[in-house]
Formats: sequence, structure tokens, C-alpha cells
Amino acid sequence: MSRFYYYLILINMIANIISAVPTILLRYSEDGSVSALILGVFLGTVIVVFFTKFFNAFPGITFPEMLVQTTKKWFYYPLLFLMAIMWFLAGVSTLITYTFLLIRFFTPDIPLTLMGLTLVLSVIFGCFMKTDRVLYTIEIVFLINFPIIVFIIFKAYTSKDLNWDFIKEAMLHVVEMPNVNAVAACIFLSLGVVNLVIFNRFFTHKQHFGLKQIIVIAFIASATIFTTYFVPIGFHGIKEIDELVYPWIATSDSMRMRFFLIERLIYVFLLLYLGMAFLSILIHWHVSVELFKFIFKLEKWKYKDLNIGYGILILLFAASSLFIILTLSEYQLFRYSVYFFNLTAVIFFLMPFLFLWIRRRMKGADKTKGEN
Amino acid sequence: MTSQETLSWVISQFNDTSEVIQKHLNYGNKQATLLFIKTLIDQELYQKYIINPFFELPSQEQYHLYLTMLPQFQEVPSKEKALQFLLEGNVLVAIQEKLYSIDFKLSKNSDVNSTSVETTIHGSELALSDNLMTNINIIRSSYHQPSLTIEYYLKGEVNRPKVALVYDQKKVRKKALQMIKEKLDRIDKQVITEAYEFNNFLNDKRFSLFPQMILTERPDRVVYNLAGGKVVLLVDGSPQCMMAPAVFFDFLTTMEDDYHTLLISYYLKLLRYLGIFLCILLPGIYIGAASFSPEVFRTELMLTIAGSRMGVPFTSFVEVLFMLFFMELLLEASIRLPKAISATAATVGGLILGTAVTEAALASNIMVIIISAVAISTFVIPVNEMAFAIRIVRFLLILTTSIFGLAGLTLGLLCIIMYLVNLSSFGEPFLRLYNYRKGDKNSEGQA
Repeated sequence: MSRFYYYLILINMIANIISAVPTILLRYSEDGSVSALILGVFLGTVIVVFFTKFFNAFPGITFPEMLVQTTKKWFYYPLLFLMAIMWFLAGVSTLITYTFLLIRFFTPDIPLTLMGLTLVLSVIFGCFMKTDRVLYTIEIVFLINFPIIVFIIFKAYTSKDLNWDFIKEAMLHVVEMPNVNAVAACIFLSLGVVNLVIFNRFFTHKQHFGLKQIIVIAFIASATIFTTYFVPIGFHGIKEIDELVYPWIATSDSMRMRFFLIERLIYVFLLLYLGMAFLSILIHWHVSVELFKFIFKLEKWKYKDLNIGYGILILLFAASSLFIILTLSEYQLFRYSVYFFNLTAVIFFLMPFLFLWIRRRMKGADKTKGEN
Repeated sequence: MTSQETLSWVISQFNDTSEVIQKHLNYGNKQATLLFIKTLIDQELYQKYIINPFFELPSQEQYHLYLTMLPQFQEVPSKEKALQFLLEGNVLVAIQEKLYSIDFKLSKNSDVNSTSVETTIHGSELALSDNLMTNINIIRSSYHQPSLTIEYYLKGEVNRPKVALVYDQKKVRKKALQMIKEKLDRIDKQVITEAYEFNNFLNDKRFSLFPQMILTERPDRVVYNLAGGKVVLLVDGSPQCMMAPAVFFDFLTTMEDDYHTLLISYYLKLLRYLGIFLCILLPGIYIGAASFSPEVFRTELMLTIAGSRMGVPFTSFVEVLFMLFFMELLLEASIRLPKAISATAATVGGLILGTAVTEAALASNIMVIIISAVAISTFVIPVNEMAFAIRIVRFLLILTTSIFGLAGLTLGLLCIIMYLVNLSSFGEPFLRLYNYRKGDKNSEGQA
């Protein structure tokens, strides 16, 4: 597979360390999180395989184009609209989490609105770039950040304060029935692959996707989820872990670089995750923007040389995300995230059935239909 | 139109005829009419290859044949062409009702310069010359391929300099070449004097910060880039040439990179990339750390900075802007000044940016160190055009940092990366990690 494909999956996994996923997992640490992890990794990998196999069969074609060729209007418009909204919300959830984080830990004197607006404005124009440019941006920022991520993880695992007895104790809960919310949160980590609905446009050559690639993805998924869940437990113990709002921030603050210019790792972690959150929002919103563009044919809304459609979309994105930032509290964000993850898990589990249908009809599909 | 009529038409185009000279040669059975501009042609060549043979060769036919065999010989298709040839330093010869042009151009600017902008330790010290033909000679004599193609254009309504488009037919990016030719056709300018102007002429955007074409004076860089599939634009009278499409990494490459051993060249590249990050981030980091989040860096360091800022009446970003402003002024001044005075500028500037400013408590000691580090690391960027762009980017980052602290610095940097990626230079993405040479073999397409 192309390396860009792995970026899509990896960034979704890594960026969600700061989102509500670890909080949800740790909340249910004594009622079935561990078994949910195992189930989640398995189901997540299954989804990844389904999606990749499906999109790999039609190189260079986006999901909306396929739907136009194979299904009726009353079916695909609502479906794509739902997906666009969902992917917008996925971006917003990262955005809110990060805005709260910055206000809490970094620049407490800047008003919430201003901080949110800056984040939105810095990302939103990037979402209108061409798909290949989005991927090039991702590659550069990711490769700048990746060594630091590896360093932080290395630092975490070699830290003296990481108590493996806590982790072993937490592992004992494996016998409980898997918790549904935790499974959904776990599956959400693997949903980076859903971005292929638009990003498939970039992969114009058929690629090899065999057992080796599946094993790599399964390994990455399990390693990420293991780290996400067990490292905070190793540092803080299982007793009070469900009280932490941002388990990973607390974890990164437990580490020190005694001889370096920056002593507390939390600041490296925050700035690094600012980059990762930026990428995650960029990817999600790019997909969302492209879907909205497709549904409302935005490129045709023109007044002289100015494209009003894009302007309206930017305004809508900025205004609605600002509204959500200002109204939600951290607790509500957590509750709604649970619902959101459950919803995505269900929808993207039903998707493969649709794929079967599309796949059968694509063989005899009217190729010219998508072009007008 | 007969040749005589053409000649009289050409003469009638000139108001002041003292420069244009018409000679009628008439000896025995031989006749010829010559027309030239005295100040443009090489008179020795004229004497040796046109006048002498006229008297030495026995017949009109032999003289005619002799002229057609000269390497400078050209036929004249129309009267407008005749006028143009005359203005370019050719001698027009009318013989037996036919009109020919023979190139005897005298150029005194054909000496090869020595490198002054892109100096290196290893490698050639010779640069291009001011003369187009000499430059093409230099390129051709170090690039031996039959596929090397040179096309000439006349651009600029008034001064009509010759513009040469040089590329390797086999290796050139077809799409980029197409775009450059289309844009060249659209150029509508009165006066063109330097190759560097094409950077703006061939750019459709009105406001652009980063250069889309790379400027060079080194023949080895020209040859290297020709082989890499770039198109080279040369203008007569300009000692530098432009190359397109240019990507970000071209601006961070020196020709010396290939002359060193591998590890040394990696080390130098690393140094250069660290330099570029340092020179855009350092002022921002100082502002962010001093004014927004002093807890980020270790306590001892922050105490040192705070201690050295004692007595400084400004906030950190005013301090940075104040010092940067003087550094930029000093840079600009030292370019424009005559060589005799520039030493004074350096001394005076050294006083401002040196210890005096800290003794007067207008800036902290650490600030002086940071500004010097920033200035030095700006000079590490090998191509000057990029250094200018980076200087402006630095100010943008200072602005975002002054408002949002270190988070603003990071976001600003991300936005600039995004902006760079979104730029295209003649169809090529301006910034991406790998540039594929073999278009068909990669596994990704372009969307």
C-alpha cells in the first residue's frame, strides 16, 4: 500500500489520544474495558480490511461518484449528507478538546472564542486545497512530529514511574463482558480508513493489499490501543484513573527530561499534539467539505469571480463550531462523544453491506452517468 | 519588392541617418549594396570577410557563392526582418536582386564574470556573462546532447531584447514547458532588462511571496537543472538566468552538495535545515517564552532571561521588533551603499546591535544573541531569493506569536507549511517530501 494510506490510519489513531477515547476507555476500566479493547481491535481491523479491499477495487473513484453510478438520488443524497455532518462533528470534537486543552494548560488568559476561532481559521482554508496537497501537508507535518511521538512513547515505557503491577492488575479485568461504549470508542480509532471515501481519488493505481498489510495494521492498532489504555494506568494506578478528565495530559506531565532545555514533557506533548490535532481536523474536514461540495454543487455558486458557495461553507463551519465550543462543557463533550462513537460504529459496520451492493452493480454500471 | 526597395524602406525608418551607412560596391563586372549600422558591427570582420573578397574574387557568381557559405550568413524573408537584423548588428547585402544578412555583431560584454552571489569553495568560480550568445555557448559546451533545444523570442515592446528558452527536449517537463510558452506569449511589457523580471511576468498571481522560479549565475547549476528537466530562461544583457519549475528544496541546495563526500554533505544539509527553522522560529520562541508561557522552559533558563530583561522598558515583542527592524535596515543599507561607505554602515550597525543597546537597557543581552543568531542563520540559505521570503515569513510568525503565544507560533508554522504545499510552480507542487522522477511508476496519482 502507498505510505499515504498508512498516514490516514495512523493520524486518526494518534490524534485520538487527546480526544475522549482514552477517557471513555478508562471510565469503564472496571467494567469490561480490557475485553472491549481486544474486541475493538479485532472489529476495527475487520472494518479497515473491508473498506480498503472495497476502495482498492475501484482505484481513483470517490465514494460519491460510485453512489451516483449505482444508486438512486433519494438514497445517496441523505446518506452523503449524514456522512458529511458526521465527519464535520468528528473534526469538531477534536477541535473542542484541543481548544479546552490550550486554554487550560497553555494560554489561560486568551478568551475561549478567540482561541477557537484561530484554530478554525487556520485549518479551514486548508480544507479547500486539492486532495493531493492535503496529503503532502499531512506527510510533512507528520514526519516532523513522528520522531517526537516515538521519543515520548519511549520515554513513557522506560520511565521509572511506570508501574507494571498496575498494568497487570488492570489486565485481570479481561474476564468481564466487553462494554459497548468502550468497544465503539475503540473502533473509532481505526476509522481513519473511512477517509478513503474522498481520498481514494488520490490512489489512482491498484495496490497490493494482502495478509502482510493486514498484519501491519492490526499490529499498529493493537500497539496504539495498548499504549493509550495501559500507560496512563501504569502511571496513575487503576483506583482513581476514571476521575481524570485528560488522562494523557496527566500522564505526560508525570515525565521529566532532567537535562534538556524543556524540562516538563507536557509542553512538548501539547505542541506536538497541536500539530496532530491540526492534521486530524484537516483530514476530517477535507472529507466533509468535499462531500458538501458534491451534494450542493458548491463550485457553481459563483458571483463574478468570487465563489459564494465556499464562503458560505466556511462561515457555516466557523460559526457552528464556535457555537458548539461556547455551549458545550467538558462533561457534555464526554457524554456526546460516547453517543457519537456508538453511532459511527453502527453506521460504518452497516457500510460493508452497501459495498457488496455497489460492487455488484458497478460491473454493469453506466459509467457516463457520473460525469454530468 | 526588390532588394533595393527593401533597403530604401529600411533606411527611411531611421530619422538620423548618420549611424546607418549604405555602401555601393562597384568594380569591374561586380556589384553589391551594403547596409549596416556602424556602431553595432565589428569593422575588422567587415573589412576582412566582405570588402577584401569582393576585390579578390574574379566574378560576381563566385562572390555570391562565397557569401552564402559564410557561417554568419542568413536569408532575409521580409522587410520587417531586414530592419530587425540591421538593429541586431547584421550587415545587409543586396546582390543580384537578392537580400542577405550577415551577422557581424560586435559585443563588448561577452566576458565571463566570476561568481559574486553564489560563491562556493569547491567548483568553478566562473559565472555566466552579460552576453546571450556567450551564455548559450557556455551551456552548449558543457551539455553535450543533441536534444538540447534553444528557442529565441523577442519580448518587450520598446527595447526588444532577445530571450532564449533552453531545455532538453527529452527530459523536460512537457506540462511546465507548455505553460511557460503560453505565459511567454501573453507577456505585454514595454521594457525588459533583467531575467529576474520574468519571475513576476510569468506569475499570474498579483501577491506572491515565494519565488516560483530559481535564479542562478552558475553554469554548473544550469547544466544540473537542465538534466533534471527544467526550462532555462536567458535574457540578453542579463548575467543571471531563471529556471523553472522550481520547488522548495531547490532553494536549499548548493552546487557544492554534490562535490562533498556523502556524510559531509548530509551534515551541511542538516545544518542548513536547522538554520532555516532557527531563523524563522527563534524570535517567536523568545516572545512566547518571555511573555506567555515562561513555565515551558526549565526554570534556570527562564530566570536568566528574566534577569537579563531587567530594566528593559519594552514588552518582549516590541523588543524583538525593534532589534529585528534595525537588523533589516542594516542588511538593506549594506546592499545599496557604495563599497567605500559600507564599512561605516557595518561599524555603526555593530554599535547599535552590540553592547551599546544592552548598556542603554533598550534590549536584553539575550535578545542581542538571538538577533545575531537569527541573522547568521538567515545567511545559511543558499539562494538569496528564498532568504528574502523567509525574512517576511519571520515577521508573520512574530505577529501570530505576539497574539497567541507558543500555540500561535506552532499554528503559524503549520499554516505556512500548508501555504507552501498549496503553491504550484508551473504545475509542480512547490513543497512535497519526495519528487517523483518517473511519473508512471509511482503508486499514487494526482487529484
